[in-house]
Amino acid sequence: MNKLKLNEILQKKFGHENFRDGQQEIIEQIIAGKDVVAILPTGMGKSLLYQLPAYLMEGTVIIVSPLLSLMQDQVEQLKLLGEKRVIAINSFLPFQEREMAFRHLADFKFIFTSPEMLQNEQFNRALRELSIAYVVADEAHCISQWGFDFRPDYLRISGWIHSLKAVNVLALTATATSEVVKDIKGTLRMTKPFEYIHSLDRPAIAYEIVEVENQQEKMNWILGRVISTEGPGIIYTQSRKKTEVYATMLREQGISVAYYHAKMEQSDRILIQQQFQQGQLDWICATNAFGMGIHKDNIRQIIHDHIPTSVAGYMQEVGRAARDGNQAIASLLYTSSDVEQTFYVAMQDFPEEQDIHFAYQEEYSEVEQAETTSRILAYWKEQLNEQQTIQLFKQIKQKKWQDIQSFYLMIRNDSCLREQLLHYFDQALIERPHHCCSKCKLNVSSILRKRTDEKYRQDEMNWIDRLNILLPS
Amino acid sequence: MHFHQILLFIIHKISGQRSENAPYYLLKGKKSGQTIQDVTYFQLHAFFSILPQLSKEDYDEAINELFKNEFIRVNESLVYITEKGIEILPSDKEPLFNGWKYRGKEQLFWKRIDLVIQTLSQFQANEKKFVPNQKDISIQHFVKDFLIQNNFREFNLNTDIKQEIFYLLENPSFDDLHRTLFVYRLSGYKTTGLTWEQLARHYHMTDLNIKIIFLECLHSMLDNISIETSPRLFNLAKDIRIDTPLTESAFKTNSLFEKGYSIEEIAKIRKLKINTIEDHVIEIVSNNKNFSISAFISKEQIEEILHLSNELETKKLTLIKQRLPEISFFQVRLALTKGEKNS
Ligand SMILES: [Zn+2]
Repeated sequence: MNKLKLNEILQKKFGHENFRDGQQEIIEQIIAGKDVVAILPTGMGKSLLYQLPAYLMEGTVIIVSPLLSLMQDQVEQLKLLGEKRVIAINSFLPFQEREMAFRHLADFKFIFTSPEMLQNEQFNRALRELSIAYVVADEAHCISQWGFDFRPDYLRISGWIHSLKAVNVLALTATATSEVVKDIKGTLRMTKPFEYIHSLDRPAIAYEIVEVENQQEKMNWILGRVISTEGPGIIYTQSRKKTEVYATMLREQGISVAYYHAKMEQSDRILIQQQFQQGQLDWICATNAFGMGIHKDNIRQIIHDHIPTSVAGYMQEVGRAARDGNQAIASLLYTSSDVEQTFYVAMQDFPEEQDIHFAYQEEYSEVEQAETTSRILAYWKEQLNEQQTIQLFKQIKQKKWQDIQSFYLMIRNDSCLREQLLHYFDQALIERPHHCCSKCKLNVSSILRKRTDEKYRQDEMNWIDRLNILLPS
Repeated sequence: MHFHQILLFIIHKISGQRSENAPYYLLKGKKSGQTIQDVTYFQLHAFFSILPQLSKEDYDEAINELFKNEFIRVNESLVYITEKGIEILPSDKEPLFNGWKYRGKEQLFWKRIDLVIQTLSQFQANEKKFVPNQKDISIQHFVKDFLIQNNFREFNLNTDIKQEIFYLLENPSFDDLHRTLFVYRLSGYKTTGLTWEQLARHYHMTDLNIKIIFLECLHSMLDNISIETSPRLFNLAKDIRIDTPLTESAFKTNSLFEKGYSIEEIAKIRKLKINTIEDHVIEIVSNNKNFSISAFISKEQIEEILHLSNELETKKLTLIKQRLPEISFFQVRLALTKGEKNS
């Protein structure tokens, strides 16, 4: 492939001067018709990998994405680049729009869809008429039952790919152990794929681990940190109630802050995201529902008040900092009893032996289970018998427990946290940044800027002024 | 109007005639014969279906509070407003809702206007690329068509829409709170709208009350939009009003009546109970006073029932039925509905 041509499109369509590490290599392999597995940390230009080759190839790109909220965001990002031939076909698409789309699939260059939708017969019939450039499996780690957010419906992609005549597949993920990569290759029926594994290290993020005695100390620590140093930042916590408690506490001290969790109305969640992105809010207190599809380069701090349920999840949340390449810090607060709490949270929707037994009964109704649980069980019910499923879940549970334990160990021992996190993904640290982690000695005050902001006050509300700001005369 | 005021307002109208749960079904917009006929009996069109999301817990909590404050009392499973309750009824304020007419469709209007303002604001600042607040594809398509038809690249549209909004918000029935909530929910260039919680905190009110006042604002704006005074917004309010406010099922029954079938025949054809078809008749009569009911009840019977209802000062079916044993419950309901419609 002509390098000039690639660069021309990079500039014209995407407005970038140069490729980042690995991007060009991967794109060339896709155009050459190879299967590709690419692992690279969030914020490293993952979307460009599936977007750019489309402009050099005939046919439509099908992007399978298990996370609906992310899909919406990806469509919007492509539209922002001026691409109009893009659509998301999922269960949210109104019936009439869907019918319309099925009839005109070939008009689209990019079709985003969910694994569930691939079961739709009408959609499949339309797809078979279509000339497909390549298929993208986004968030491919969700394919693996060992992955931290396994989506059983995603496994069905295997049969679907098989049903298409020879099509190339690009698997993308930001987090995958070698075990998970093996699952991805198998499920996607890849033959000798080109593998690109970018270092998952984010040198601009320093890690800080703080052990405290109790929950009250956590509150005090957070308060002290947020009052004295500059954001923008995200405080991750495990309960919806706590996001509200933290936000109230900080607001009373004059911090511009909001809480965010999945139980809020969608319209309000969108507004909070926008306010944060536009700098109208400095801090967000959130559950792990926050962050997908956030486009903010200058996040300086990520604070966890707990031990996350998986290393991969932690890396993803921390990875939202320092997208601009400037120094940021990720702080993790914990008490010695937090590890049990985390295991409890991780197991909340996990089916017990009894649940599995019920699931195999004739008159089983799925209503009794949490939605994700019933979907997982429904899948395994087709594949395994009751005893096998029980065994499988025992294994997964044990693995979860081990994962959390080993994360806990990483936090507590004396070894460099950065090295250990990379090691978890079978990677080695290439170069230790100046600000590494609190176990390699960390001078926090030299990383964070002192807060200079005046206390935040809500302005008086004046509807006439506001309307004039929205639509100036 | 606040939530508690709405409850008192409704209870005032149904005092001694219905249970304390009746307002809940009314606010949720339950499509049962009973609820729909109550709308007409008690002239409660304003409140029908204005809070489809209302949880029973929130409702019970509010009712308990009214009870504790002795604004209402419950006797033999009927709810009454007390003297104390009547005193605190807002005397000067009429509800601005029109739930019967809009049935939640005002949200469609809101989504359209939200996206229109966001787009115009961004374009005016020359920022043509932005993430829309409204994700619904059909809303996006509607707004796109609207903007193109109205030549949005010309500055006129911004000025017109702003003036139309000003005009509608200056409505003297509004408080400044109505106006502020409407404008501060909107987003535009470098200006993001506020969440319910942020607005509630600013005004030291509950989220629910903030949403209720916002809804009142939307309904009243929609009522006042006309092609003469607000031609641009008139187009945005397309298909918002429900012209045939019948439930789908009642609508089917109505078509069969039009073809001349009897209640029994319709029940058979539709495989529904006679009771259900009777509910439909009540619903149809509630909506259409020209619907002939002579097949079900005579003029004399209607007069007899209305006379008795007046004399006993009640709309309780059982009381009326006791005195007129030869008349059916259905006939009593029918007469009361018809009577209310004509008054
Ligand atoms: Zn280190």
